[in-house]
Amino acid sequence: MGSRWSPYDNNGGTCVAIAGSDYCVIAADTRMSTGYSILTRDYSKICKLADKAVMASSGFQADVRALQKNLAAKHLAYQHQHNKQMSCPAMAHLLSNTLYYKRFFPYYSFNVLGGLDNEGKGCVFTYDAVGSYERVGYSTQGSGSSLIMPVLDNQLKSPSPLLLPAKDAVTPLSESDAVDLVKDVFASATERDIYTGDAVEIVVINAKGIRRESIDLRKD
Amino acid sequence: MDLNLDAPHSMGTTIIGVTYDGGVVLGADSRTSTGMYVANRASDKITQLTDNVYLCRSGSAADTQIISDYVRYFLDQHTIQLGQPATVKVAANLIRLLSYQNKNMLQAGMIVGGWDKYVGGQIYSVPLGGTILQQPFSIGGSGSSYLYGFMDQSWKEGMSKDEAEKLVVKAVSLAIARDGASGGVVRTVTINSEGVERKFYPGDSLPLWHEELASVNSLLDLLPEPMST
Amino acid sequence: MSKATVELPPKGGFNFDLCRRNDMLTKNGVHAPSFLKTGTTIVGLVFQDGVVLGADTRATEGPIVADKNCEKIHYMAPNIYCCGAGTAADTENVTDMISSQLLLHRYATGRESRVVTALTLLKTHLFGYQGHVSAALVLGGVDITGPHLHTIYPHGSTDTLPFATMGSGSLAAMAIFESKYREGLTFNLVYCAFVEIPQRDEGVKLVTEAICSGIFNDLGSGSNVDVCVITKGKVEYLRNHQKPNPRTYISSKGFSFLKGQTEVLSTKVTLLEKPQQEEGVDKMEE
Repeated sequence: MGSRWSPYDNNGGTCVAIAGSDYCVIAADTRMSTGYSILTRDYSKICKLADKAVMASSGFQADVRALQKNLAAKHLAYQHQHNKQMSCPAMAHLLSNTLYYKRFFPYYSFNVLGGLDNEGKGCVFTYDAVGSYERVGYSTQGSGSSLIMPVLDNQLKSPSPLLLPAKDAVTPLSESDAVDLVKDVFASATERDIYTGDAVEIVVINAKGIRRESIDLRKD
Repeated sequence: MDLNLDAPHSMGTTIIGVTYDGGVVLGADSRTSTGMYVANRASDKITQLTDNVYLCRSGSAADTQIISDYVRYFLDQHTIQLGQPATVKVAANLIRLLSYQNKNMLQAGMIVGGWDKYVGGQIYSVPLGGTILQQPFSIGGSGSSYLYGFMDQSWKEGMSKDEAEKLVVKAVSLAIARDGASGGVVRTVTINSEGVERKFYPGDSLPLWHEELASVNSLLDLLPEPMST
Repeated sequence: MSKATVELPPKGGFNFDLCRRNDMLTKNGVHAPSFLKTGTTIVGLVFQDGVVLGADTRATEGPIVADKNCEKIHYMAPNIYCCGAGTAADTENVTDMISSQLLLHRYATGRESRVVTALTLLKTHLFGYQGHVSAALVLGGVDITGPHLHTIYPHGSTDTLPFATMGSGSLAAMAIFESKYREGLTFNLVYCAFVEIPQRDEGVKLVTEAICSGIFNDLGSGSNVDVCVITKGKVEYLRNHQKPNPRTYISSKGFSFLKGQTEVLSTKVTLLEKPQQEEGVDKMEE
């Protein structure tokens, strides 16, 4: 009576990204789990794809890893051809194409891509598993996303994409306020989502470069 | 790993009952598992029904426990009404009755063993559908498939109590060595005109069979120094 | 045979129309409501002159923590308590029902309840429901015959053990018991033939450690440790004996949730009509 074997697993985890006028915050917890078991408490879901493009992914770790390697290979080829790093919006489109390439056997990964665009403004791109994407001011993906999204909506209300003329998607928060908000929403999500916890890794990208920090979360 | 903890509690078991000159010896391992998890490593599968009749249980733990509870209750009433101990045959027949009438609900294979003043020591086996068989010796449970040949060769008419007990312990330990669903310790119950005697053989006192590894208390004892704390 | 007689519904007996309807609904994607499950760690331990019961305090509904500080050690009788794992409603109601039967039994007999009585009532109830009442219990208490500890599975089977664990965290907790229940607290495998049994404080410590192992290693278990120590004529219910999981970060600024964060696209107000008094109907007397 055993259920059929599945090529997918869900390793849980939550990702958040917030774009500001001159910075971008990308964060993810470090717990990797399956079923009711924790596989490790210290696994980074954040991957630096280019100097100004960082991706946080939850879902199935094997697929996430395959996707990261695939993107790294494509980025290397891009550097050889163009002798420069890929921009964040370009990487966003590459990620979409890479995901859609496997439309009928998708990468089971839920990604947010954050970085700085060509004008130095913060940008966040949010995806589904088969490559549909959108540039937004903030986003969250993964097991705790349904708990975090309404809070972000309330605190960082983004302008309607239907408005004309279009308004800037970036949030009005300062960099330190954004980092503070990220810590708080992760601490809150950990209280109620069993797949989120252990620690949150926060990556901040601004004109000065990339900075990493992390704080502990509940370990139960 | 699929432990399947939701599976009903069942006893992948080795149970055995043999008659000897003057009585019977019942034997069982002590492993109870839910799926792959050993839920109880020291369980007692030899249940008392009356002063002189015991029951070896295999199959679903819940089913065999409820059967023995009912039969114990019926036999207690019967003993009071009769004013003398119930015979082994009566006990075995009650087990059979419940097994047969509720066969579609139950997952229970049992061996009844005991002594009474009319016939002496007797073994009745009551397998899955409610069949009843009186036998000089009987084996049951998942571990029994490893024992048929051995028992056919080793059981002899007119054994002494000591020989019979040794045979039972040897048989159960052989089954434990080969059957993954049996394990733990060996428990025996010997019933004769003198009364009842329970014996207990810890897992590490059992003989090691072909290529079997000796048991250790803890993996920590095997690991190199830095690992053990 | 005429067609009409064939299509006549059978008289009497059971009617399984709703089962067919439910199957159809499930096929069409309408699922029955989910239950509150206490993905749980519960344990029990016999010590020198009593028993220690332990439980975590997390209740989950799928991946969401429904209750961060629930009580899983239920009262059965003044001298008997029972830890519950499985569907929250089942553990709650089964313990309540048996508890009231025990109370009536005490009124009838004028004697203290025995642990075996509770055990038998619980197991016959659960066996009758063939595993559909999903309550996995650790029953502990002290009566005239001494301290007792039992585990009861949803299908109605029971075990009698010197230490026991149940729930999704049972493996994590049992790992602690199996490795630490050793020299100093060793017991002979034939239950009832203890070589040396742990003292009260050692027992509480070991139970707490076992629950913590469940809390930290099993995602279904979490939050705090509840402990209940039962000795002859005395019960210590140590609610939140340990709180190993405080919130890790609170924003210094705090939150303000302003009204009007959602854009209002249009507004329409419909006034309730004044309900008309029906004539000729007497008002109900106060």
